Amino acid sequence: MDEQKKSLLNVHSYTKECIERYDGASSQQTKTSDAPPLIRMKLSDAIFNLCRANSLWPLTFGLSCCAIEMMCCGMARFDMARYGAEVFRPSPRQSDLMIVAGTVNRKMAPALVTLYEQMPAPRYVIAMGNCAMAGGPFAVEANYDVVLGVDQLIPVDVYIPGCPPRPEALIEGILQLQEKITGKRFPLPQNKMPKGA
Amino acid sequence: MSMNVEVLEDDKHHRYVLNMGPQHPSTHGVLRVLLELEGEYAMNLLPVLGYGHRCHEKIAEFKPAKSFMPNTARMDYLGALIYNHGFAQLLERACGIEVPERVEYIRVITSELNRIQSHLLWYGAYLLDLGAFTPIMYAFDDREHILDILEDVTGSRLTYCYFRVGGVSKDIDDKFVTSTRAFVKRLRGRFPMYEDLVNGNVILQNRLIDIGELTPQTCARYGVTGPLLRGTGVAYDIRRAEPYSIYSKFDFEIPTETKGDCMASFLVRFRELEQSLRIIEQALDSLPEGPIMAAKVPKKLKIPAGDYNSSVEAPRGELSYYLVSDGSDVPYRLKVRTPSYSNLSIVPEVCQGMLISDVVSAMGSLDLVIPEIDR
Amino acid sequence: MDINNVKKQWQTLATTVEAVDYAVSGHDYSLSLERDKVRDFAAFMLEEGFYLVDLMAVHVTPAIEVVYQFAHVETRCRVLARAFVDDNVEMPTISDIYQGANWHERETRDFHGVVFIDHPYLHPLILPEEDVELKPLLKAEAKLKDVEAIRRQPPEPAPEPKPKAKPEAKPEPPKSQEQS
Repeated sequence: MDEQKKSLLNVHSYTKECIERYDGASSQQTKTSDAPPLIRMKLSDAIFNLCRANSLWPLTFGLSCCAIEMMCCGMARFDMARYGAEVFRPSPRQSDLMIVAGTVNRKMAPALVTLYEQMPAPRYVIAMGNCAMAGGPFAVEANYDVVLGVDQLIPVDVYIPGCPPRPEALIEGILQLQEKITGKRFPLPQNKMPKGA
Repeated sequence: MSMNVEVLEDDKHHRYVLNMGPQHPSTHGVLRVLLELEGEYAMNLLPVLGYGHRCHEKIAEFKPAKSFMPNTARMDYLGALIYNHGFAQLLERACGIEVPERVEYIRVITSELNRIQSHLLWYGAYLLDLGAFTPIMYAFDDREHILDILEDVTGSRLTYCYFRVGGVSKDIDDKFVTSTRAFVKRLRGRFPMYEDLVNGNVILQNRLIDIGELTPQTCARYGVTGPLLRGTGVAYDIRRAEPYSIYSKFDFEIPTETKGDCMASFLVRFRELEQSLRIIEQALDSLPEGPIMAAKVPKKLKIPAGDYNSSVEAPRGELSYYLVSDGSDVPYRLKVRTPSYSNLSIVPEVCQGMLISDVVSAMGSLDLVIPEIDR
Repeated sequence: MDINNVKKQWQTLATTVEAVDYAVSGHDYSLSLERDKVRDFAAFMLEEGFYLVDLMAVHVTPAIEVVYQFAHVETRCRVLARAFVDDNVEMPTISDIYQGANWHERETRDFHGVVFIDHPYLHPLILPEEDVELKPLLKAEAKLKDVEAIRRQPPEPAPEPKPKAKPEAKPEPPKSQEQS
């Protein structure tokens, strides 16, 4: 049990294999491991990025408590549909955004990596909640099963802290992702950052 | 209609093993079910658990018992206050702490609001599985009102950690009372809309009636409790059978049905919403003044040696905490018996020979929350 | 279910039967069983209309203790029954009597390593398949306690009344009002 414990807080047996596949993908790197497009034209890139940012299709990947706040975000009060992201697809082949909402553990890690690999590029990952960011309330000595942060497995674009984060925080995360894709935040009144932020 | 197709022993090579989950829109969490299919009929079902295991019982052996309260909310996030209640009650009984009366009333009112919120979410999500996209919008709208009321007093929307050993963390004020009364009136006015929209719908009736029939004997062999057991005709509710807190003071019914199929548990849960509203009204009418914390709760709460049990009625069934203590403030062993664990274990027997779409319907009526199964 | 009848039958099946204070411990009766009587006890409880609430293990010396919890639907009666595993950490299964025990026993095997004899499918339930030897809830040597340490202690006897004390030192004179 002690040798297991030593490796717990860093990497686990299956997750090690997953990390080796991504060759050091970590939270510091911003580039993903996807291949860049063969031909790049600035204007068409800008147009395509604008379209992608405004119609992100998330994958239904709610694992635990944060999934409920993700569902609330898709409902009438908080309404992700305003930002184009309400079409939750069950299949990874049809989605381009993976919102990891909840705790990932050693049994789930290979499934998560398989789903990420099945998503076609360009693909984005949002780590929602403390558990997906860094293990959350389970990053304690007694833990033997929880992967401490989904960025040990796949490259992450946006981190949303909270336990669980409010639906408004998830919307802000999507707006930040849009800013990352297009390079700027849309000058709409509801997208303005509050004063002092 | 569920039909038990004869097992064709010679033709087993026609069978196809289909993997449902762990990522699936209808399994309500990370549950994986291996279905051995004969055409569209599921001959064998094998649930595979463990995709949401988070080592709660091991964590309980490393922290002082009082500090485990936030973890109780993460097990079932939809009934978090009720999980808090069971755990606070466990420690209060073990250490002989007497709780003031106002605290009991606050606990009952917030627990019943939590139960209503959980049933509304189940209602919306279940109908979403069956293909109806509208009821979930209305259910979540009502649910947001409850979340606003509870957020003012507890500070969270979902995973509450509001109860403490000996009391609650913050007192309720007049705003809470008026907004709760307004909500009770509003939800009662919405019931006719829910019934018109959903309960009489012919598609719902065809998909729910006669699917997944349970009997009281099956429930006893598997340990099934909650609305599933009440749908078979057994009026067993921990709030009535082993009254805890002040539930013995309130007048409420225990709705039961007789058939034991999916429609029976659906109607039982729907009627429980009205009973919870009755309890809330009675509690608000007789809310006493007083302190919100017991007089002497030691900072380091040493639990006398021995074993202790505490059972409460969660929205899904009977929740029992079992604590073994060796005299210190850190538990020696804590076991949480969650209702969805026993409720899910009936699936290999009851869902055998059903169409896949009926399997989805039966599993939705079990009202599962997977993190409480995997703990 | 006639509780007196049931208790009489328990006297033959169990080694000790103890009535417990519900207001403190949350259950009504606590029983100790021999390992070979576990199946007969379970069959009797099913016949009397009890349902299986829980099945779990506690790691103590001399042996791991398996605890069964039953409750009745009509009359309030919550029962805890315990049995020790044998030297090979084995225990007879009750999953053919109470089918709900099937999953509870698999989980106990995951966490404590208790092997249930004649269980139809004793594969890991909650831990991954590769982690059969992990047994996370077994205690380390330093934390392992004896079974007596986790049993309810009898209430401490009231302290003996002190013998009549000699006249003690004079009480302090009241503080004068001049100090202000």
